[in-house]
Amino acid sequence: MGGSANGATDLSSEMEVDAFRRLFPLRFHERHLLESVRPDARSLGKARETSLALGAVASADGSALAKIGCTTMLAAIKMEVMTPAKETPDEGCVAIDFHMPPICSPIVRPGRPAEAAPVVSKQLSDTIISSGMIDLKELSLVSGKAAWMAYLDIYCLDADGSLFDAALLAAAAAFSHLQIPVVSLNDDGRIVVVSKEKEGEKPKNKPVNEEKRKLKLRSIPFALTCILHKNYILADPTAEEESIMETLITIVLDSSCQLVSLYKPGGPALAYESVVQDCIALSRQRVKELQKILNEAILDMEVD
Amino acid sequence: MAAKAGAAPATYSPSPTTYKKNRPPIFTDVDWVRPDGRDFHQCRPAFLRTGAVNAASGSAYAEFGNTKVIVSIFGPRESKKAMLYSDTGRLNCNVTYTTFATPVRGQASDNKEISSQLHKSLEGAIMLDTFPKTTVDVFALVLESGGCDLPVVISCASLALADAGIMMYDLVAAVSVSCLGKNLVIDPVSEEENYQDGSLMITCLPSRNEVTQLTITGEWSSPKIHEAMELCLDACSKLGKIMRSCLKESASTSQG
Repeated sequence: MGGSANGATDLSSEMEVDAFRRLFPLRFHERHLLESVRPDARSLGKARETSLALGAVASADGSALAKIGCTTMLAAIKMEVMTPAKETPDEGCVAIDFHMPPICSPIVRPGRPAEAAPVVSKQLSDTIISSGMIDLKELSLVSGKAAWMAYLDIYCLDADGSLFDAALLAAAAAFSHLQIPVVSLNDDGRIVVVSKEKEGEKPKNKPVNEEKRKLKLRSIPFALTCILHKNYILADPTAEEESIMETLITIVLDSSCQLVSLYKPGGPALAYESVVQDCIALSRQRVKELQKILNEAILDMEVD
Repeated sequence: MAAKAGAAPATYSPSPTTYKKNRPPIFTDVDWVRPDGRDFHQCRPAFLRTGAVNAASGSAYAEFGNTKVIVSIFGPRESKKAMLYSDTGRLNCNVTYTTFATPVRGQASDNKEISSQLHKSLEGAIMLDTFPKTTVDVFALVLESGGCDLPVVISCASLALADAGIMMYDLVAAVSVSCLGKNLVIDPVSEEENYQDGSLMITCLPSRNEVTQLTITGEWSSPKIHEAMELCLDACSKLGKIMRSCLKESASTSQG
């Protein structure tokens, strides 16, 4: 299982390569970098194969499953109703949470959550809110009385590096899939779903959001994480690469390639201007790929 | 975590949260159709796959109708420092639900209870003496809860254990039956579980014909218990065959 891409053919030399990889991980990787190739046979600037499936969770209003290599993210949105804050009577709210359950990685244990989870969670909500992808005014139902609260929960099912990139892709895809339920205001002042069976009957209360079933997403953000090591830039690192070469830089661009955020949390390698420029160039290419994957996933869903 | 500053406002789900108080006519009506159109003695189609999570030593994904579960196995690995020396291996089970698993957000049932039941149903099947001093972690995540969560988690976990190469006497298959008035329905969906008068769950080793756990709750008469057990054991042996063929399939593809 998990074939090694080192060109080792017979079993004995494969064992040796495996031992070398475990004993001298840094040298193992640097030896590859010299040849401009990575242990999984990718070139340095290439991201792993990426796939998207919309509507994976039937019990949610919008959902998506994103896979980048082995990293798997499941995002689902549940819509609930809230009373909007006094300062913003015409706005709804988006609550974003990122979870790393114990199934996703050997380093997470029950009761001892991963350090990365709250960091990614905060990064995600900052990025999604500041990118302006969602117009919170679209989530308003009855001005000053009721608005949508969109609970977006993203679960990491398999952690193999570049968690933020995959989580952001899953989140954006879940919002593209989101189908807002038709609701009406009942006599008690509560918002209730207009059930399908009763559609034939004369509706007692007029639906309040018949035209607003889909959110208009403006400028969807896409992320690419790169490793900086010596003078190499490795796009879309795996968990193994992240654990060996510690300097990460995450760049978020929107669909029109405007910079949304740039995040470099420390690390031994310093990012010079030219390096950052190179990373942004890689991200530009990646945004095009991801945009295409997202568009195809949306088309697939509409055909079904 | 609320994206906007300030205290998170109280929210509610707009869908009708409470189930209809009046029970369905299943008690009197012979022609009652189950919510998903199955016969009373017909299980949901089972979809099983091993190797769902690459980061784990072994894993499996199970989908029975709307019930979707992933189980990852880690280890055998070092036991917690505080644990005393032990000749036999330890089993550590944990079941969690996603916040969107249930129709209303974050209303999952008590997972401590389910975790301990998972532990009890598996430990009899595993050769614990093959990994002394160490622990095998069995972690399950219920992606969507559509009824019969525990039996699906147990069957999926035993498949994941096999995928991880943990020595077992046999696979563990689990099936439950609900008693609704005069009728016995196998592999109930959530809606049926909400109306049930009693439930019976068997976890067994199908090839050895041994039962590792039998749980009976609610109102039962002895002939009904007999009938339900026969039903469950029959379904378990069929489920065992499906699990076995799933393992064979994954073994042959990984070789090829």
